[in-house]
Amino acid sequence: MTTNLIQSYIANKSSGVYSPVSNNTQRTIETPKKPMPDFDIQRELDNRTFIKPLKGKGRLISGNILNAPAMMFKDAVYDAKAFKHAVKGEANDHELGRLNDVGLKLGGLAIAGYLFTKKQTPMTKGMEFIGLASFLASMAIWPKIAIQLPAYLVHGVNVQKEYEDSFGRKKFFYQDPQFIPWDLYSDEEIQKIGNRLGVDKNIPNRRDAIQEKMKKIAIQNNTLWMLTAGFATPVMSALICNQSEPYLAKYLNNRKNKKADKILADFDKYVEKNKNPIISKKLERVIELYKDRPINKEVTELLEDALTDGMDLVTAESFKADLKTMLTDNQYLINDTTAKTISKNLKAKFKGKHFDEEVLNKILPDEDAMIKLFKDNNFLNNNVEYHNFKDVSDKVVLHVLDNINLYNSTAPDNKKITDNEIKFIKKLIINNKEKDHPIRSALNKIHAKMLNSDVQAKLRNIGGILDNFHAQNDALDKYALIKVGAAPETVIANYWNDSSKLLLKELGFSNKEIEKVRFDRTLMGELLRSKIEKVASNRESYVKVMDRLGKIMADLNNTIKPGDLCAPILNNNTQKPVKSNYENKVDIIFKEFADSIYDAGFHKTSQAINGINADDNVGTLKNIQKSYVSDRLLGVKSAFNRLYNTLIMYRKIATNPNDIQALKEYSREGKEEIIEFGKICTLQGHSSDFATKFYMARNPHPSTDSSPLEVKDGKIVNKYYGKTKSVVDIPGDKYFYQDALRLMYETDIDEDAMNVLNKYLIKDEFTNYRNLILDKIGGEKYFAKPRHRIRPQSNAGSELKFLLLGITPEEFFFKAGQQTYNTNKWLKIFGTFGGILLGATVLAQFFFGKTKSTVQKGNQQ
Amino acid sequence: MILPVSNLKNSINFSANSGNEENKKSLDYDHDTLLHNDIVTRTRIGIDKLTNAATLYPAKGLKGSKNANFYEFLTMGMVPYLTGSAMLMAVFNAADKFYQPFARTKASELGKKMALGVVFYGLAKSISKSLISTPVHMMTGIDIERPYAKVIYELPDDVNDTDITSIEYHKVFESVEFPRWDLLYGDEAKGEKRNYRYDRIAKKLGMGHDLNDSDQEVKSRIKEIIIKASLAKNISSYLWAATGVALAFQKTWNNFFNVMTFKFWKPKEFGKTLQSFGKNFVKSAKALYKGEGEGLQKHAGKMLIGAALLSSVLGIINTMSSSKKPSKVDAADVIKKDDRYVVN
Repeated sequence: MTTNLIQSYIANKSSGVYSPVSNNTQRTIETPKKPMPDFDIQRELDNRTFIKPLKGKGRLISGNILNAPAMMFKDAVYDAKAFKHAVKGEANDHELGRLNDVGLKLGGLAIAGYLFTKKQTPMTKGMEFIGLASFLASMAIWPKIAIQLPAYLVHGVNVQKEYEDSFGRKKFFYQDPQFIPWDLYSDEEIQKIGNRLGVDKNIPNRRDAIQEKMKKIAIQNNTLWMLTAGFATPVMSALICNQSEPYLAKYLNNRKNKKADKILADFDKYVEKNKNPIISKKLERVIELYKDRPINKEVTELLEDALTDGMDLVTAESFKADLKTMLTDNQYLINDTTAKTISKNLKAKFKGKHFDEEVLNKILPDEDAMIKLFKDNNFLNNNVEYHNFKDVSDKVVLHVLDNINLYNSTAPDNKKITDNEIKFIKKLIINNKEKDHPIRSALNKIHAKMLNSDVQAKLRNIGGILDNFHAQNDALDKYALIKVGAAPETVIANYWNDSSKLLLKELGFSNKEIEKVRFDRTLMGELLRSKIEKVASNRESYVKVMDRLGKIMADLNNTIKPGDLCAPILNNNTQKPVKSNYENKVDIIFKEFADSIYDAGFHKTSQAINGINADDNVGTLKNIQKSYVSDRLLGVKSAFNRLYNTLIMYRKIATNPNDIQALKEYSREGKEEIIEFGKICTLQGHSSDFATKFYMARNPHPSTDSSPLEVKDGKIVNKYYGKTKSVVDIPGDKYFYQDALRLMYETDIDEDAMNVLNKYLIKDEFTNYRNLILDKIGGEKYFAKPRHRIRPQSNAGSELKFLLLGITPEEFFFKAGQQTYNTNKWLKIFGTFGGILLGATVLAQFFFGKTKSTVQKGNQQ
Repeated sequence: MILPVSNLKNSINFSANSGNEENKKSLDYDHDTLLHNDIVTRTRIGIDKLTNAATLYPAKGLKGSKNANFYEFLTMGMVPYLTGSAMLMAVFNAADKFYQPFARTKASELGKKMALGVVFYGLAKSISKSLISTPVHMMTGIDIERPYAKVIYELPDDVNDTDITSIEYHKVFESVEFPRWDLLYGDEAKGEKRNYRYDRIAKKLGMGHDLNDSDQEVKSRIKEIIIKASLAKNISSYLWAATGVALAFQKTWNNFFNVMTFKFWKPKEFGKTLQSFGKNFVKSAKALYKGEGEGLQKHAGKMLIGAALLSSVLGIINTMSSSKKPSKVDAADVIKKDDRYVVN
């Protein structure tokens, strides 16, 4: 608590505690003999030597990186105390000001926290907090780097200097120009700053002149701070986020990848930890409600719902069929309720028909009569099988007929029931579909099978098996999702994004070029072609790009190790298949599950999961589990293999086109056409093109000129191609398409490309890939037209063809270009803005601190 | 408090010349004047402060004027708030037009939400303060936001500078250490009772009627109340601001963005915009409360609203909680005898 000196003096006078600290004074201090009652202000004022301030405890703060943590801690303690004081209503202005900053940070945290929950991926979630941190940091850093530092370098004055007053309140030294505690600076320090400011050393009151100049610089800088901070903070914050994003992405990717590896390595542990007996719980709820009651349709449906939770629809169908078999034994119970229902149903059936009520009462058995009928025929409280429903129905009909006879025997002739009416009555009872049948619809109401302890035990066993399988399956899914899932921020998605950006750079795409082609894939295709041709024309650049691409391809094998997860078709085309850990795990888990469920009587389900024979994999759940990951991996690997192969072909064309085996038999014009086709197809060809759209406009009467091809800067100097006006597709020329495929995928791998393949241990994978293309696509029935194929018929499905061709390089770079363009454009706009702002802010220093010359000042004084 | 001599009639001229009478500045106030806390006054003060913050004060500041002061520095704080808000909107929207259509749509959706978030942040922050000040005013009679005009006498820039006065707009309770008690006394010349404002507060605070010196009685209580209310405002306003941002991030705003137009000269379209804004505001509030997904994601909105609401309620409760301080504070109670006291 603080007060002014006079109050302090008055308050403490009586105790006699107060005494001035100054040791310099030689005068004695007169102390009044009595406290307040005899206080004489005039006397006190006449004798004013006591009014000497205690030595202030204020000090300048020298903040640096070393004491920053300690200061942060001190500030935090101060804020906590301030909060306590404010809650009690005892805080001062400074404390309340500090609490405003606390509120700002708290609000920021609340925003980041809320948006964190709205975002789906770790990266976007993480960026929310980085956004907040960078914003707060920018607020603090901007004045330091754009104001304080330049001002210090130019003028030697720290305009953001802080001091702590006698009450421990930290403030900016220059925050209030009308109250600057100059005494905290020693004379030596001020003089030193004055020297730096170039203040004349010989003027009177030099300290004042220096202080005035310092104050002026500080006021100007404070104003500059206020004027620039609004522009600078958001831009700086966004730039910090932009630059920190890749680091966070890399960190999260590594973390995620390790997490996935751990799932597979400690599989059982992970499963045990994440086990959630959700099915068993649901099952118990149904059992609790319907135990020892007949298993009717409603119970069956509830059990189906409980047990097939989380199961795919196809497997669920098989499961439901198995479950139905287990729950029903085709037996139905007849009891009093059944008898009463039949009686009611019969009456309902005859309602509104032309029979008198009285007659109906006589011929239709009432509830008691029906019970008696069932009792006499030994139906009551017994089970009947479905095929015996007819017996029950016949008995009822016979009983009705007996009643009619009895009625006719006593009734007058005009009231007797005629034969036609009897036929109608029989028809009304019997000729109905089961749901409208008055007897059958009542009979099939109550299943004889009860949800007894035996059935309950069986169901619990199934529930346990399913829960266990779900836990294992979830672990497999989680692993697959993190590694290769079709979602943002999976390991493979991150790999794809990073690689495409790198390749864009390696092939030398400039921002300006991307800007021009970014809206059109075809334009990007043309640009890409020229880039590849340029790279292929020069060995040095070719080797560099191939090395980078080879490394990228190998990196995927490091991130997702083939031993853990692979695309079997790519790895094992020619060798004996070696299963990855993931495949092994899937095989074991699905087989165990299929066996357990088979033993429990669920034969159809078992078959749907694991097939019938050991190698019977197509269409089973097990196969789907495996193919999902291998297909994703194959698609990605194919894209890079295709690009690698494309570069090899372009290099061959750029260096030695006349030696290409596939072109040997052609005239120069034919060679030019095939090469053009190969170049287009490698960059743009889709899987559908190979089957349906293989089309090339050619000269039907090519020149017989067999002069060698000419090459310039990696491009063929076409002598004929593109110069003939009347060009057509020649569908009958199967050799053209066959040789085109050979050009694309059978061209020798040059030494440089082979070295890279060997260096990064990806040769087998790449050669497998080329062979697969030749076999599966070259063996396609409709390649390129019917009966044109170059390999034995492969019967490859469209999915495999699609996966083998991967994304076209043209599309690959089109997408990568767009992303890079967006980022770069934004960066350019705001980076430039930030740069100019920083430059202008720094430059402003050179116009600050100008005061009237000291000579003039001296004269004035 | 040393009040300045009036300069309303006589311009103080430090030059040898008598000065140009036509250029004489006419000030609204000739001494520190308590103002009404109404919408007109608040708007006028807001405009005045904003105009000065954007023009006069930067000009003075950049010249390094010897008259620049802390008030001007603080008032200039409005500039980064406004430019920062505009810049934040620009950061998320300015580059959109260069993107491809799909990317543009996605970026623009996010950008517009961000922009709306910035607007809601500012609005929620300032409006929410009245959640504290209004109940406190109603229950205690203390108007925390009561403004007053302060007349400042500056040093002349040179001998010809006759324009040495300026007006600053402060709040009576802006400083908890030095509230402007003096302004709250009634003007006996106008027939007002000297302590009538303090009497009213004393009555509202349950301290009784017709106190001999109600000002002395209530000052300590007022001080305590404004400290507690300031704390409540500082914390709760930012939580409400955060709620405003969260509100802007609800999906339902996409519908509004589809019909939004600023072309107020087209009444039909603009009317539709306002209508859609209202509808989507309600929808977004519901969506924020209900949430989607499960767990934390579902309940985050409720938690945020709850935290903001709770901070306001607790703030008011704390502000209104009765003080145990004696009604009159004796100097001897305030000064701790074992402590040593210094001047700043």
